[in-house]
Amino acid sequence: MAATTDHEEEAEQKAPSPPPRRGRIATAVSVFGELLITAGVLLGLFVVYSLWWTNVMADRAADKQGDKVRDHWADNAGPGALDTKDGIGFLHVPAMNKGEVLVEKGTTSKVLNDGVAGYYTDPVKATLPTSGKDGNFSLAAHRDGHGAKFHNIDKISKGDPIVFETKDNWYVYKVFSILPETSKYNVDVIGQVPKESGVKKAGKYITLTTCTPVYTSRYRYVVWGELERVEKVDSERTLPKELR
Amino acid sequence: MYGWIWRHLPGNAWVRALISLVLVLAVVYVLFQYIFPWAEPLLPFNDVTVDGQ
Repeated sequence: MAATTDHEEEAEQKAPSPPPRRGRIATAVSVFGELLITAGVLLGLFVVYSLWWTNVMADRAADKQGDKVRDHWADNAGPGALDTKDGIGFLHVPAMNKGEVLVEKGTTSKVLNDGVAGYYTDPVKATLPTSGKDGNFSLAAHRDGHGAKFHNIDKISKGDPIVFETKDNWYVYKVFSILPETSKYNVDVIGQVPKESGVKKAGKYITLTTCTPVYTSRYRYVVWGELERVEKVDSERTLPKELR
Repeated sequence: MYGWIWRHLPGNAWVRALISLVLVLAVVYVLFQYIFPWAEPLLPFNDVTVDGQ
């Protein structure tokens, strides 16, 4: 009996137009097969969505918001007008080769999915470099999909520059420590004095966090830098020498 | 399943193929616009932050 069913199946696969009457088992098997194919196609489409389409959408959103911030700066809304809603500045990391990354407030997926980097407000509040105070400017961005702004975080090595651009200043940081893998519960890495990086006293630090290994969220990858100098932005917005 | 849909579409083979294509595109649109954005946060691929929870 089973052998007959198998034969029927094979015959059906070869001839796409089925005979008018089929056994009940053959129909069930064929529907089951179609469901499996459908599931496979769905998973494939999901990969296309997360690794390609979300990047398209996020880059579009980030460009739009970035242009808005630049326009805003050009219009000169007066001193002290820190517009945290559209973004506070741009991150330039030559080693990551991703161009400028807009920085906005918060690390919820709603913020990060627009292809920007977000500074932490929770569980440890980031200290903005514009405040001039000692502390940690902690940032997060996507490794894959949604702009994948920190995709090449593993290309950063010690000594590489990280430059944060605001309306008035270039904040030039130098990477001094890298943690290639840590638990996602390790909130100490974004502490005001991130001890795991080897520092002991308060200073002006920057921390980049994202997920690792690529295409998963199992661990976190952390890069620390320390402020080296602050350059005033001139009228032509001449890039600091690290970005030239 | 798909055979059933094909047999119930009107017109000749070309018209049916065209309608099928439109149906497929509609399904892909709904998936990309509504289903995947909903499903994505439920899957463990895109958490990039550290947090205490």
